[in-house]
Amino acid sequence: MEEPTSRFDEDSTLRSRLEADPEPALRWAAVMAALALVQIGSLLGGLLSILDAAVVGVTAIFDVLFGLVGLTGASAAVVDVQSALSGAVTTARDAAEGLPTLLSRETIPNQGHLASADGPWVDTFLGLEPALAWAVRVLLIVGYSLFTFYWLFRGWLVFRAHYRQADWTPTDDMIDRLRDHRWGQFGIFVLALFLIMALFGPALGPTTVSQNIVSPYSHEVTYFNADAGAVETVAAGDANFNSKSKGAGDQNVGPMTYDNFNRFHPFGTLPNGRDLFTFMMGGARITLIVAGLAIGLSALIAGGLAMVSAFYGGNIDLTLLTTADGIVSVPRLLLLIMISAIFANHWLAGVLDGGFLLALIFAFTGWPFLWRAVRGPALQVAQEEWVDAAESFGQPPRTIMRKHMFPYITGYLLVYASMSTGGIIVGLAALSFLGNGLGITPPTPAWGRAVSLGQSYVSGPSWHISFIPGAMIVVLVTGLNALGDGIRDAIDPESAGGDDDEAAAGGGA
Amino acid sequence: MNRLTYLAKRLALGVPVVLFGLTMSFLIMYRGPIDPVMTILGRDATASDIRQLRIALGYIRPNGTQVPIWEQYATVMYDLFTLQFGQSWIIQRGVPVTEVIGNRMPATLWLGWWSVVIALLFGIPIGLFAGLKANSWSDYLASGGGIIWRAMPNFWLAVMLAGSLSAGGALGWYRGLGSDYGLKTDVIGTPDEVGNLFTVVDLFQGVPVLELLFLPIPNVGNVLIAFKWILPAALVLGSASMGNEIRIGRTAVLESINSKYVETAKAKGLSSRRIIVKHVGRNAVVPLLPVIMGEFYLLIGGSVLVEKVFSINGLGNLFFRAVLGPDIPVVMGLVFIFVVIQVLMNILQDLLYTMVDPRITLEDAGR
Repeated sequence: MEEPTSRFDEDSTLRSRLEADPEPALRWAAVMAALALVQIGSLLGGLLSILDAAVVGVTAIFDVLFGLVGLTGASAAVVDVQSALSGAVTTARDAAEGLPTLLSRETIPNQGHLASADGPWVDTFLGLEPALAWAVRVLLIVGYSLFTFYWLFRGWLVFRAHYRQADWTPTDDMIDRLRDHRWGQFGIFVLALFLIMALFGPALGPTTVSQNIVSPYSHEVTYFNADAGAVETVAAGDANFNSKSKGAGDQNVGPMTYDNFNRFHPFGTLPNGRDLFTFMMGGARITLIVAGLAIGLSALIAGGLAMVSAFYGGNIDLTLLTTADGIVSVPRLLLLIMISAIFANHWLAGVLDGGFLLALIFAFTGWPFLWRAVRGPALQVAQEEWVDAAESFGQPPRTIMRKHMFPYITGYLLVYASMSTGGIIVGLAALSFLGNGLGITPPTPAWGRAVSLGQSYVSGPSWHISFIPGAMIVVLVTGLNALGDGIRDAIDPESAGGDDDEAAAGGGA
Repeated sequence: MNRLTYLAKRLALGVPVVLFGLTMSFLIMYRGPIDPVMTILGRDATASDIRQLRIALGYIRPNGTQVPIWEQYATVMYDLFTLQFGQSWIIQRGVPVTEVIGNRMPATLWLGWWSVVIALLFGIPIGLFAGLKANSWSDYLASGGGIIWRAMPNFWLAVMLAGSLSAGGALGWYRGLGSDYGLKTDVIGTPDEVGNLFTVVDLFQGVPVLELLFLPIPNVGNVLIAFKWILPAALVLGSASMGNEIRIGRTAVLESINSKYVETAKAKGLSSRRIIVKHVGRNAVVPLLPVIMGEFYLLIGGSVLVEKVFSINGLGNLFFRAVLGPDIPVVMGLVFIFVVIQVLMNILQDLLYTMVDPRITLEDAGR
């Protein structure tokens, strides 16, 4: 072990280091502030939505726990607290979303109509046709978001180059290796794209979920009626009714086409006439929330238990092994179907349109796979001298696990978490595909439901309904697998190549 | 350790696993917020009907008191472990569960068998080939295909394939294929031929004592029809495993081809064919074993979706309907069978390890 060298005094604080050389930090912060300011409304709105979901989720857990113990009074009080908090958050969110946002539907509108048979277009951005206006907005949002992601990473680079106490940490090498790993970067790129869809979904679609899918009869569409030769107004629901994609004859609105109501559909329409692109964006949000919650929870359980079983070994390890084998022995999809069918009418199934319960089920059925995968590395690190040293030093087990074991297994946890997320996404889509009260509750969009809706039109002109959602799942799952490969090669360049533990991570369902 | 002692030890360790899996299913099905009694009787049920059914199903005693949950648990577990699966409640009311399951078993076995075989027949050779020609265009094609093949959701692939196979689809010709030879089949639904793959022939008619010996002989026509019918579904069900096999087979070959023993074999002057078969191939099988055995695990879950899309009347479909029912005896019976097979497959996998690679001892395999 060489002496740790540093450019800075051992006891200098981050603040003092910033004050000594403020220029790079200021330059970075100025750009970041500009980026945030441009989108302030939707950023705050997004943050508050997440906060709202977190409040609901946390209170739901307490509610269930109190209910199990029999403290009905306490559980009712928890629900009261929840609705009060939720109300406050929602008010704040509405206020935040009223703030000006540059890349929004309002600044770059695409929902316009023809003034006469040969144009011009009215109410669209710069009088462009809706397809172009929509494309401009999507490109701007994606470009903006990708740049913001890059700039956040750049912030870490600035910190590393100018302000970090240590000259070098093992993480630096991992990040640098990942920067040369094209396949892993493809994974990061794909994940970033889908995160953008989840975050900016409402602004990305040619219309919104509430206008087009949830309450189409309380919104109106203005369009140029070619038969009557005049501009008319109709309820969005009625327009949907006449824009169905059912394969036969003229009943089809394919990808990249307009319907008869001057509305542009990048992915075409569903059999019930709703816009597939908007549907997919809504689905991306719920899918990523459920998958993120589920994988976070199972990584937490798996990481904790792996360290416990490696540190203590013996009977604790054996008990965990039996428990994990027991959960794994019932095929996952069967367990998912059983639990979600049983709880279909329970109030818990109403939280996040059923997504919260699904995330809990996925976490419960998923941790054994992760636990098995990181138990090996955890066992290895438990044998290291530094763990023995820390133990003889009198450090409590919790500190040893947190400080001396956890950093070593995080990388592996990330690799396998990234790969099992694909399994969760496919499983979630499979449940929504099966329907019958499983999966995400309609009318909230879910990718699997779109596949199921288009099932009978695959061989005809309306092939897009089933094809596009599935193709998007394939891209996302491939991206997550690539990310896993990238992280694995970054943390352990020796192991370049496959491994057997991830066999169960694929498209199984 | 002796193989028999090892086997006994593993079987003993398997019991708590089976017990845990079943307990979990019991808790879900018996303590979950559902009431099968109302589903069975419908809304017009009279109070006395409900009471009687509750008694019959073991929820309450004849004197009206609730049967404690642990007593229900003990009864259910005892019945399962003594292989008394009871009768179906909803799907085929009153019919023994063994019969309900038995009727649907052949379709699923046929589907599962071919999905494993097709995945093996294509996946492993492609993987080995890609490994031998590493970093060539054909390798990129094979590995790229494997990566995408493995990421495709089963249900989506099934929907797309079933759609293309329908009358107006791109693969619509498939159904008429071989119709000159009586092979015209549908791809949706289960044809009768699946249950009649074998003709039972009484070879020793008239010969005393031996007359009781019947011989099952494959009925070629039925086997062909059943194969043609199952091929699309089996292809879908095996897809994820095939992708895994391509990927892991490739890595395994790459690893062993750069090893010292292959160099030695080359120096010895062995033909490259012999090297590939004896040294590379055999060592590549070790990491492939868990993938192949893991297929079984994917099969059970995947069969629910694939059987639903292709309308196959098999165990996956049965399980789905039984859970929605809820037809608890059928669910518990199916879970019991699945869990037991799963545990046995795990033991078999560790035994196979020691056979393929003598360096792995039973102690290692058992962990």
